[in-house]
Amino acid sequence: MTIIAFVLSILLGTISLAIGYSQAGAFTYSLWFLLLAAIWLVAHFRKWYWFSSIALLLIVFGAAYGVWREFSTVWMLLGALGGLLGWDLSDFARRLSYASPMDDTRSLERLHLERVGIVAALGFGLAILSVVIRVERLAFEVAVGLVLLAALGLTRLVIGLRKY
Amino acid sequence: MSRSLLLSLLTYALLLAGMLTVQGEFIALALPLVTYLLIGYLQAPETIKLAATRHLSAERVSPNANVDVTVTVTNHGASLEEVLLDDPMPEGLVLNSGFSRHLLALKKGESYAFTYTASGPRGGYVFESLDVRVSDHIAVSTSIARVEAKGRLFILPPVTRIRPVAIRPRRTRVYAGSIPARAGGTGTEFFGVREYQPGDAPSSINWRASARYLDKLYANEFQQERVADVAIVLDGRLRTNEFAGRHSLFEYSVQAAASLADALLTQGNRVGLLVYATYLAWTLPGYGKIQRERILHALANAKTGESQVFSDLEHIPTRLFPAESQIILVSPLLEDDFPTLLHLRAQGYEVMVISPNPVKFELSYLPTNELVQLASRVIRMERTLLLQKMGRAGIHVLDWDVAEPFDHFVRRRLGRTPFWLRAVGR
Repeated sequence: MTIIAFVLSILLGTISLAIGYSQAGAFTYSLWFLLLAAIWLVAHFRKWYWFSSIALLLIVFGAAYGVWREFSTVWMLLGALGGLLGWDLSDFARRLSYASPMDDTRSLERLHLERVGIVAALGFGLAILSVVIRVERLAFEVAVGLVLLAALGLTRLVIGLRKY
Repeated sequence: MSRSLLLSLLTYALLLAGMLTVQGEFIALALPLVTYLLIGYLQAPETIKLAATRHLSAERVSPNANVDVTVTVTNHGASLEEVLLDDPMPEGLVLNSGFSRHLLALKKGESYAFTYTASGPRGGYVFESLDVRVSDHIAVSTSIARVEAKGRLFILPPVTRIRPVAIRPRRTRVYAGSIPARAGGTGTEFFGVREYQPGDAPSSINWRASARYLDKLYANEFQQERVADVAIVLDGRLRTNEFAGRHSLFEYSVQAAASLADALLTQGNRVGLLVYATYLAWTLPGYGKIQRERILHALANAKTGESQVFSDLEHIPTRLFPAESQIILVSPLLEDDFPTLLHLRAQGYEVMVISPNPVKFELSYLPTNELVQLASRVIRMERTLLLQKMGRAGIHVLDWDVAEPFDHFVRRRLGRTPFWLRAVGR
């Protein structure tokens, strides 16, 4: 179950980026993303779990580069989301490998996929909303201030939750 | 790098990129990561309140016998979504069936028990704690804890039941036993003839001796049999026990010491054990079954070791042994050991050496060629000379070829000589 979800996530991430890049005419980059998907899959099946962090970095960097070049934001978002899910599921598969054959891993897998699905849907929904909803009259200084406030708030929240 | 740190760095990088390029899409890219992080932290496990108990199907077993280890973990805190329980086995034990690592979810108040089967070589094994790794489903934050679940397993050396061991220390204890006490009194074996005294049983009168005298009667006197103090010294020096290719005589020595201790304690003697290796491990002398357990536990933990201080036997602490008692040294022996043994003998101890034969042991696995044969002849001669020298010094040396079972060897060499053989001076 996890493996299927993992493969689908990688395909979602890399194919989305490939489509986004190829729509903008950057076919060479699309091929690189497909190659990355192949390498990631091979690395996972060879149990090189460390590679998933590198793959996530590359995919997010690719998505960010696409956003900067003003490629289709939805494909870039889907790419980043697929990368995030692939990274998460790769680590989950690693943790599952510690389980003994008699452990009830199916229910753990089901719960994990449910939780990750919720996270993905929420994240993607928020991201799409943020792209769709545009406040035209917001000055740049205000936007910077809001971003800084968000970063600060996020940091405080994380610290607070960690203490809790 | 931790998962949360990686995601945080990516998030901040995207926020920064959004600020620098004045593009809101970067912030949109960061939102799935932020959502992931926040949900992860919100679901982070609280303080871990796990308790564990351990049950072993047997706490003392023979080498390579299977032991079922059952561990029960109870969650006294909040529900835990993903718990990895890992029970590290003490070094030396081998997992035969079952699993010592489990991944599960533990609800509040729920218990989980797992069993696995382990076995191992001789030794004392201590189970300390379980390694527990608790995380939420998306494992943004992970807590690692150790939950105490103590247990002890003794894999004791095999004890071969051997016949009573004939020893004759100079001094015995006051309690009745089976060791000839070199003193006349009540007993079973003839000791001498003395003048009849009132109170002596009429049956003890030696009529043949009395017939020679007109006015006196003579009575037979029997040798008193008492218990004795015996110190078993187990030589655990690396240089005497270990040979090339990790072949070791030590297991044989341990087996011999265990069997001797068992036999001597069964005879009612007071037995102590000294393991002479990296350090001195002294088991105080005692009697009976409890002492047998103490000695077997000490032997279970005995290991060979190397130490500059104890590289020779000269540091055997004679103060530990009662004066003129019996010392039984179990050692493959080295040339340098002779002066120390001679010194012990001079101090009045009755010294017996049970020496697993290292020459025959090494020959049993070395290839048969001329060089090996020649070397073995030289070493065998040296050893024979050493053993003869010891014999002349009054040290009772028993050269044990470990290919022969110890009980057979003891029956042949150490059993008590029947009285009719002793009578003819054998």
